Amino acid sequence: MEEILKIENLTYVYSPGTPFEKKAVDDVSLTVHKGEFLAVIGHTGSGKSTLIQHLNALLKPTSGRVLLHGRDLWESKEVTRDARFRVGLVFQYPEHQLFEETVEADVSFGPKNMGLPPEEIHRRVVESLAACGMGEDMLKKSPFDLSGGQKRRVAMAGVLAMEPEVLVLDEPAAGLDPRGREEIFQFLSQYHKQHGTTILFVTHSMEDAARLASRIVVMKDSRVFLDGTPQTIFSKAQQLLEAGLDVPQITRVFLRLKEKGLDIDTGVYTVEQAKEVLLRYKREGKPC
Amino acid sequence: MLKDITIGQYFPVESPVHHLDSRTKLILSFAFIIFLFLAQGVAAYVLCAAGIAAVTLVSRIPFKMLLKSLKPIAFLAAFTALLNLLYTPGDVLWQWWIFKITSQGIERSIYMVVRIVMLIASTSLLTYTTSPVALTDAIETLFRPLNKIHLPVHEFAMMMTIALRFIPTLIEETEKIMNAQKARGADFESGNLLNRAKALVPVLVPLFVSAFRRADELSIAMECRLYRGGEGRTRLKQLKMGKNDGVAFAISILFFACVMIATRILP
Repeated sequence: MEEILKIENLTYVYSPGTPFEKKAVDDVSLTVHKGEFLAVIGHTGSGKSTLIQHLNALLKPTSGRVLLHGRDLWESKEVTRDARFRVGLVFQYPEHQLFEETVEADVSFGPKNMGLPPEEIHRRVVESLAACGMGEDMLKKSPFDLSGGQKRRVAMAGVLAMEPEVLVLDEPAAGLDPRGREEIFQFLSQYHKQHGTTILFVTHSMEDAARLASRIVVMKDSRVFLDGTPQTIFSKAQQLLEAGLDVPQITRVFLRLKEKGLDIDTGVYTVEQAKEVLLRYKREGKPC
Repeated sequence: MLKDITIGQYFPVESPVHHLDSRTKLILSFAFIIFLFLAQGVAAYVLCAAGIAAVTLVSRIPFKMLLKSLKPIAFLAAFTALLNLLYTPGDVLWQWWIFKITSQGIERSIYMVVRIVMLIASTSLLTYTTSPVALTDAIETLFRPLNKIHLPVHEFAMMMTIALRFIPTLIEETEKIMNAQKARGADFESGNLLNRAKALVPVLVPLFVSAFRRADELSIAMECRLYRGGEGRTRLKQLKMGKNDGVAFAISILFFACVMIATRILP
């Protein structure tokens, strides 16, 4: 697979030389391939939010490099600015960044900064709003009159409108009700299927990661702890639990079943998989 | 960029100065400033400088930090020096057009600069060694007698505490919003003054929205805990003067006396 983003030995230290000095990212190396749907999981303070702010050159590494298509993001001013558009970053609680009078104007902010012609901007605004499940009737509304979930989706559309090659999201579903979460993730996976955009998202929830991601990176104490497909990650469920991280509920059920003496594969992480494994187990009466 | 602003510049290390009662530090700093302006002559100034150096050593504040606090007033000090240098009447040493430099002018400009530097250094020491909240507490206690003439001392102090408490929060919030807009291609660093001011709109609007939201939430939270002003209110951290404060006062009085003696006896 084609490499799109490459992080090499990235280290970042906050407030160096003061009593508040803190190493937030410690010697992290990571390669993101084109078209991947990657989840980054970790505790609060494990450095995941700091890590992703390096991906579009908002933070400059204390040491190490970030390469986009093989070019260092800090090589020149042009590359840095270009990276902001090629790597779209949606912050946590992105609705706090809304500022314009109408939804249309707010979503246009990014494309306008790219210097696109008005017709192109309009096309992108309408398309990105549609991708987030909102019709053209929203265009003239004030973003401050919308509900929480709608605001979130308008803010996401503001980043999508730049049509980035890599979409990075920091806890896209934080603080939403179950329905809002469901919608956000539904739009994301749909967008991924339609556009083939590389998506990287940070989350607390193993369930969300298991359900959506094609690859999971687990961070712990500012370092990469585990990296692999959901299958390989959750087959190390015991290790995750010992490290104080969560595993999907269904995996926990299977761990308990195994403890009770049932000889089954504990690498399952969705209910569908669990159903199949159990049915097969029942049919054949032997491990699978 | 924003992190360089040091308003609440408390420098938390363990030292005898940090452990002093905040009222002691406030009163002594204030007294020091008064004596700084009463002092005259080289000996007295050297003594004052030595006093600042000694307190800095005892409080374990790196001298580098003290220098950093002086940077913002460098221009003011230079400007004052220049004015004093050029506009003090006396024995003319050098003259060009309307500018005269006098020996008195040189002397006075040096004194002014030394005074300003020491003034800022001493107040910085106060804020480096005392947390903003402790400082507000001290102000509230010291000004309490003004309640008698119906000045709302507690309300002012509470407003100050809240303002101080929210400075780091708002700075953090500003950085977050700036980053979010930068991620959408906003450019805060180039262009002329007008463009830069315009570029701040996408930051200021969300910042105001969130500041009002926070104010709303905070007032509700305070009411839920039955806040009803300062009357009869007790505090979590009682200000207490101890033996150390007595020692600090004694040393300071001795020090101030020395400064006055140096001013009177040594020219």
